[in-house]
Amino acid sequence: MELYELNLWHLIMGLQEKKFSASELYESCKKRIDSCEENIHALITRTDDIAANQLNESNSGILSGIPTIIKDNLCTKGIKTTAASKILGDWRPPYDATAWKFLRNSGALLMGKANMDEFAMGGTCEKSAYGPTHNPNDLSRVPGGSSGGSAAAVSAGYVPFSLGSDTGGSIRQPAAYCGVYGFKPTYGMVSRYGLISYGSSLDQIGPFARTVRDLQIIMSIISEYDPMDSSCFREKKHDFTYNENISLKGKRVALVKEFQDFTLESPISEAMKRTQKILEDEGAIIKEVSLPVIAALAMSEAHTNLERYDVVRYGYTVNDSAGIKEMFERVRSEGFGSEVKARIIAGTCLTEPTRCEEYYVAATKVRTLIAQEFARAFGETDFILQPASPTLPGKIGDSGHDSLKEYEADLYTLPVNLAGLPGLSFFTGYYGDLPVGLQLIGARWSDTELLNAGVIIERHTGSPKIANEGVK
Amino acid sequence: MKLTSEEVNSIALESRLILTENELDRTVLYINNFLDMLDRFKELDLKNVEPFSFAEVLQCPLREDKIIPFADTEAILNESEHVDGSYFKVPRIMED
Repeated sequence: MELYELNLWHLIMGLQEKKFSASELYESCKKRIDSCEENIHALITRTDDIAANQLNESNSGILSGIPTIIKDNLCTKGIKTTAASKILGDWRPPYDATAWKFLRNSGALLMGKANMDEFAMGGTCEKSAYGPTHNPNDLSRVPGGSSGGSAAAVSAGYVPFSLGSDTGGSIRQPAAYCGVYGFKPTYGMVSRYGLISYGSSLDQIGPFARTVRDLQIIMSIISEYDPMDSSCFREKKHDFTYNENISLKGKRVALVKEFQDFTLESPISEAMKRTQKILEDEGAIIKEVSLPVIAALAMSEAHTNLERYDVVRYGYTVNDSAGIKEMFERVRSEGFGSEVKARIIAGTCLTEPTRCEEYYVAATKVRTLIAQEFARAFGETDFILQPASPTLPGKIGDSGHDSLKEYEADLYTLPVNLAGLPGLSFFTGYYGDLPVGLQLIGARWSDTELLNAGVIIERHTGSPKIANEGVK
Repeated sequence: MKLTSEEVNSIALESRLILTENELDRTVLYINNFLDMLDRFKELDLKNVEPFSFAEVLQCPLREDKIIPFADTEAILNESEHVDGSYFKVPRIMED
């Protein structure tokens, strides 16, 4: 077995017990990236040289010598950060995102910045100014998005874990499409400082890995309090330590009544049935909750967040404009992709004084109703089980024909962000070559219980294998 | 159609964006589909519902009102092509 094939926990143990060296591990991962990247294109920027320099720094942290990859909307000091947009040009942030700083301080080596949909707006990882990422299980298919590069990198064995961000499903859906575990923590659990915002009240950073235990290790590192993010909650302390003696006996797991009428592709409905059986065998009680959900809020925040790209202080720019208005118009029109422009305009439209009350304020009230619905539901149940997506990953180039269908798919993931809940995307098995993933949702701050439930499910399903389709 | 091409174009200009013909067509469709979806809100009684906020955030956490100079202003200025000394330079704002 090659070192790149080992999961995070085994790598940490192996390094501590000196079964192999950090240099050997680095070389193994670098070689793996060399052999797959041309076909998968999971990365916008490779930073092997930076990782090689890090190898020479002494660090006794738990991740010392462990290679990782982070989504390219997380700021890395002095290292190009693009959010997959042309508008940021070759911008090198003067500071680190807190989540990356915590990993770096624990000894993690940065191998690259992962591809994504531009400013995290998309669900396929095709809407990147740097071209699409391919699913390592089937190169003709999308890896999901927006954190598609981060999910594909872990699936293909580039690194044992990566970071992504989730505004409406951007960790959970690509995790399911690529056949890895992905975790979106409770809003406020992980500092968003240094995350290039999409919808600030929805965004949350989280990890991808090939076992649930590995997610627990990363969560224990990145969930530290950070005063630089006012939405980061100081009062909450969480113990993500792996525990073998856990049980689902008597736990209530609910299916959402309204979703029963929705059409799922058969491999996903089969996976739902299999997982219900696993949970029942473990002593959980399966029930139903009612949750009439309506989606949509992110865009109105996006248009405000993206107003900061003023073309003067950093990023893509022009020098020969007649005046400030022309300069803004030219750079923004040339620098943003079509999807981003459409969302900015939609956000401007919804928050204009004439429409603000009718649409934006109504949407924030609907969001209150959604949060109340979930709060009531979690009075009756411990977890909610549902798909991470109603479909398996589609073919590259096929998306974008039916935006309403895409909104419908978001219904499985976006309400979790609206209510600030944690969600675990977990592997259930394969349908042919394609992995099938589902999602388990918990109440706010139930992150540790949710991951424990994931550990139990993984004992039945087994961990996913590394995808080899990308090898040259 | 709730919004015409002209209306969408004027919103685009407010956002300092100039759209190509294709982009305009796509955005008109996008926004109108979206507004139709949001019309479903009208089926709900929202009169006595408060706009959303996270329950835990009862007040905004404040830091001490003390100036903390950024350690590396040079790194910030290095990222811009529009710098004069320690200032950002922008085209003139006032019309003649």
